[in-house]
Amino acid sequence: MQNMREVRTAAQANLEDVFFGQTVILWARWSVIVAGIVLVLWTSTTISHLTQTVPFFLALMAMNFFLHGRYVMGSPPNRTAVMAASFVDLVLITAIVALWPGSHQQGLNNQFFVLYFPVVFAFALVFTRRIEAAYTVIAMAAYVAACAFTGTLPFDLGGDDKTLVMRLVVIAAMGFLGNYYFRIQRDRLARASRGASSGVEDLVANLRPAPARRPVRS
Amino acid sequence: MTTESKQHGGHLVSPDGNWYWDGIEQEWKPASAPPVARPTAASRRETNWEPAKPKPAASTSLSSFVGSVRSDDLVFGQTVLVWARWILIGTGLVLSFWTPSDLLTLQVQLAAIIALAFGNFYLHVQLLRGHPALDNVVYAASIGDLCVVTALVIVQGGYPSPVFVFYFAAVVGISVAFPTLLTAAYALVVIGGYGIICLSTGGDGPAVFTRLLMIAAIAVCGNLFARNESHRRQDAIRIHEELQDEAAESEPSAQLSQPASPA
Repeated sequence: MQNMREVRTAAQANLEDVFFGQTVILWARWSVIVAGIVLVLWTSTTISHLTQTVPFFLALMAMNFFLHGRYVMGSPPNRTAVMAASFVDLVLITAIVALWPGSHQQGLNNQFFVLYFPVVFAFALVFTRRIEAAYTVIAMAAYVAACAFTGTLPFDLGGDDKTLVMRLVVIAAMGFLGNYYFRIQRDRLARASRGASSGVEDLVANLRPAPARRPVRS
Repeated sequence: MTTESKQHGGHLVSPDGNWYWDGIEQEWKPASAPPVARPTAASRRETNWEPAKPKPAASTSLSSFVGSVRSDDLVFGQTVLVWARWILIGTGLVLSFWTPSDLLTLQVQLAAIIALAFGNFYLHVQLLRGHPALDNVVYAASIGDLCVVTALVIVQGGYPSPVFVFYFAAVVGISVAFPTLLTAAYALVVIGGYGIICLSTGGDGPAVFTRLLMIAAIAVCGNLFARNESHRRQDAIRIHEELQDEAAESEPSAQLSQPASPA
């Protein structure tokens, strides 16, 4: 019985991770929605501005209501739907960065790039390494594209480029650190399923002194 | 958040209860107390038994002034913290030499980053040797991260400084490694401190609000995930033990039901 193996297959483990992990994505999206709605209400100067921007967030809110409702009811959406919703997040945030009213608040000058951080981090806590890496790279590329599209990126290796690199590094760090922790937790869960409840056994093995060598008599 | 319990005068005890950590001799020793009889699957059903819930991490983590108790989750979360700090150090070093603004800023940046690098090197070496640092050292190191980022932000003028993004990397490590209360405390310190800095240096209201909200969102998401995983592990351990007990109960009956072997 000590050699009992984990009975989950890799595919089952992936599905379980999406099932249990998507609550993090839902909460990350709620934070983006709250931030977006507050920003729109706060910064709108005309009625047309408000009526043009609020519907995007209302649509995102409706989507997240649906997804969160299904999760609470015990029938969460499948992996593909979760990924699609996460890509919608990226599209919306990139649109905010690129199309925010006021030319001085677009692209690199737009301060709402921080909305990428929780979205990328939450995604990294749920999906496997390749998918997470692809998502993180897409988020970084989308941000660079938004900055280039708005003409706010000078490409002269000056202060603006430095700022862009700094932001991209942190987006990448969100993805890397989130997925690193995800893999640690997955390993711990697999060990727990086998009956080893933590990594203390390994620690014991590391601390155990090596067997003393017997002196060779000549 | 932890899977260990405190016994033997405050020593760390392995999950199976057979070993305890002797912090003075730096080795695991067999527990002298007789092993407690484990409940069987039948007795669990009769008595509506539930697995012993781990004690709150704060009880083990905060009582580690004596230097012998470490929390399991902090040990695993520490690797994330260490890597987050290396990212901060590496990026900070590269960016410091990229169009430095003035000598004083560069001096402060390099001094802070190099000090952080020495501290992180120590923590990383401890991890590689299988001796995770004491809880309080980890907590202090995280405070050091936040202080370094705050110092850089202040030196660069507060709100306009782009260095604030490194708060996010620091909060990620904190959120997955620390217990909920400590995560909340650290996040509140960051939000309060950085909020005051921004507002006192002419920060744009909506932008400051977004930054602070996203820092809070990162802390909530990371800690929520860590707690979910802790519950999943508890369930997995309980299921494993029930399966073991059921198998142990069925083995004698299976032997009895086997036909006697010929002499």
